[in-house]
Amino acid sequence: MLSNFLQKQQYNYVRNFTSKSAERIVKQQLQEIRNAGTWKAERIINTQQSASIGVEGTWNKVLNFCANNYLGLSNSPELMQAAKDTIDSHGLGLSSVRFICGTQNIHKKLENMIAKFHRMEDTILYSSCFDANGGLFEGFVDPVKSKVAILSDALNHASIIDGIRLSGKARKMRYNHIDMQDLENKLIEAQDQDVRIITTDGVFSMDGDVAPIEKICDLAERYDSVVMVDESHATGFFGKTGRGASEFCNVLDRVDIINSTLGKALGGSSGGFTVGKKCYIDMLRQRSRPYLFSNTLAPAVVGASIKVFDILLKSTELRDQLEKNTLYFREKMTKAGFDILAGEHPIIPIMLYEGKLANEFADEMLKRGIYVIGFSYPVVPKGEARIRVQISAGHTKEQLDKAIDAFVEVGKLKGCLKK
Amino acid sequence: MTDSKSALDIISKQLDQIREAGTYKEERIIVSQQSSEIDVEGTEEKVLNFCANNYLGLSNNKVLMEAAKKTIDTHGLGLSSVRFICGTQNIHTKLEKTIAQFHEMEDAILYSSCFDANTGFFEGILALSEGTTLAIISDALNHASIIDGVRLCRKANRLIYKHMDMEDLESKLQQAQEQTVRIIATDGIFSMDGDVAPINEICDLAEKYDAIVMVDESHATGFFGKKGRGASEFCGALNRVDLICSTMGKALGGSSGGFTVGKKVYIDMLRQRSRPYLFSNTVSPAIVGAATKAFEIIMESTDLLLKLQENTRYFRTKMLEAGFKIPIGEHPIIPIMLGEGRVAIEYADKMLKKGIYVIGFSYPVVPKGKARIRVQISAGHSKEQLDKAINAFIEVGKDMGVIKSEN
Repeated sequence: MLSNFLQKQQYNYVRNFTSKSAERIVKQQLQEIRNAGTWKAERIINTQQSASIGVEGTWNKVLNFCANNYLGLSNSPELMQAAKDTIDSHGLGLSSVRFICGTQNIHKKLENMIAKFHRMEDTILYSSCFDANGGLFEGFVDPVKSKVAILSDALNHASIIDGIRLSGKARKMRYNHIDMQDLENKLIEAQDQDVRIITTDGVFSMDGDVAPIEKICDLAERYDSVVMVDESHATGFFGKTGRGASEFCNVLDRVDIINSTLGKALGGSSGGFTVGKKCYIDMLRQRSRPYLFSNTLAPAVVGASIKVFDILLKSTELRDQLEKNTLYFREKMTKAGFDILAGEHPIIPIMLYEGKLANEFADEMLKRGIYVIGFSYPVVPKGEARIRVQISAGHTKEQLDKAIDAFVEVGKLKGCLKK
Repeated sequence: MTDSKSALDIISKQLDQIREAGTYKEERIIVSQQSSEIDVEGTEEKVLNFCANNYLGLSNNKVLMEAAKKTIDTHGLGLSSVRFICGTQNIHTKLEKTIAQFHEMEDAILYSSCFDANTGFFEGILALSEGTTLAIISDALNHASIIDGVRLCRKANRLIYKHMDMEDLESKLQQAQEQTVRIIATDGIFSMDGDVAPINEICDLAEKYDAIVMVDESHATGFFGKKGRGASEFCGALNRVDLICSTMGKALGGSSGGFTVGKKVYIDMLRQRSRPYLFSNTVSPAIVGAATKAFEIIMESTDLLLKLQENTRYFRTKMLEAGFKIPIGEHPIIPIMLGEGRVAIEYADKMLKKGIYVIGFSYPVVPKGKARIRVQISAGHSKEQLDKAINAFIEVGKDMGVIKSEN
């Protein structure tokens, strides 16, 4: 059928003209990336996302320890059914931004549920948390009319950094990672502004460390600042009832704005949101560019997400299982002699320090049926390469043991274990 | 809450100002599927939708819906991963190949939306350094997402040329000869007027001054141009454009998703560097499945495209005959020019009472004095539905003195 289509015109990919200089330069840059050993190749998965997956090029299934599939919901039959049912009832897509003809009753329902879950006033949906972050700072306080300072943790997610870069005339300040003294200094400096916004990941994705949100709120109160927390690596599974690092730090009722994703623990299909005070959300609906100029969320995603929040509002079973799995894995790996950054989060960085070692280690792990990824410079600082393990509630004890055994085997092989 | 008093105060005032200016956006709530005819909360009867990007009527197409559901069954709900970690399934690479083949280009890269494709484009296409500098030359009326993409590329020399003004483009290209690389970026179809970029002339200039051409075909892919390959094809320049950014969230089913398609070397670079690609979730299986099916449909037959063309011609002709001010064109975006913002909003309200759902656009979305109702025709509109809309427009037009009563 494709060949029929193409036979009807001259089927060749020869462009009449290309910018030779641009092409040459980009080709060269690609080569440099290869030479530096930082080329990202994509493995192709031919199954659903799950604790156990089929990867093209490997004979047997492998165990996946590097997905954001924290609650194991990415192939949940219940969520899949909800998505399908919603396609039947509400169609495939809206082909519209929200304010023209892109709001269905289910969108409002989901927004209400997310607000309810977080005990906040209102929510605004986005295609992704990447967009939620991208649209927040510019859509919030008009930096042309008021003086705004944004104070951002040095290790915040790329999407927050981009959002801040799009905030125009706002004063952009960075504080050292989790450094409360530095944050305080910057807040003092920013007192000449009309509005201050402190923004931080709730859980930082490379180390799994938790932001000191209680102290941040204390400082925010003292120096009159808004607090925004990105809970992408926490919503649904971190904190006593899965309400995020803010809950974990006992300050859920003190944080002003939470940005988070439906594309990690909550089913992993797509979607993001900002939740907070109604007045802030109202403002974003009027001004946030990704909200105003990009398609509304697809019904299937909305339907699956409504089901997820239904589940989460009823029980903490999945989150409890994840906690159990996480504790088990951390204990065993520490006992085995691995260097693991202490913590409670299911993100577990196995420190290997050298980039080349991290990549080789990951390859050896794959041979033993464990799918993990090595992270090295520039994603993490030089000399801090690691394998970042992500535990799921979907992992069985046998699967955890298999991974641990493989780690120990390869660890001994590579001489990484502490004596 | 920490309750930053100043922030609350300032934002409340900002909201008041928006209300006072009459530019506050309310959301109507739809309780049915998206279609040519929809159910809106607060209106008793169904209304006809003339303001969706549902150009081919595929947003509630049964075949696409089945494809989405089937792909959920085979490939799950979501991947919970960026592409390069564990977020690439065989269906993703298949869709990318299909998009490339459709456009007669080498490779494609998927994104959550064309908004992300555009914001991730300029910074991702080239690493800038002392030795490698970039000039981006962008049409003044380009989409917000292109503007944001350009803004994120701070190290580049960022130039704007007057809307579709080839002389101004040429002068900017001359200015940009200092830089090592030049990119010209333009919407293929501009969304407020439905006008078509002069892509052939742009490619001529690109050749002359050694520049890459990127065209955003969001309001064209699937239905504009002889085989639906966009304004580039319409202008006979499909094999001259280097890169196309477009969406699956308009004509191709409207669920979500975007892409950049073009020469492999550029796509490879975007895979290594484009931030929304590296740091945001991969496209979900349902959407990949539906989009693949949508491309198959439009590659198999141009029936829907031709129906849309027919509907568009009919509507344009009738409205011009009735005396409405419509810029000449062939695109299904049809701006009914009304002058003042207040008129546009009142007109839209009156249309809704007659069962026709349209939206008035006024400042700042469009320039002062150029307020309009922007109609979007769909292949899904029947002749009866088109006539109903035309009659309603005429009735309200006479009522409000926008057209003469003798027409």
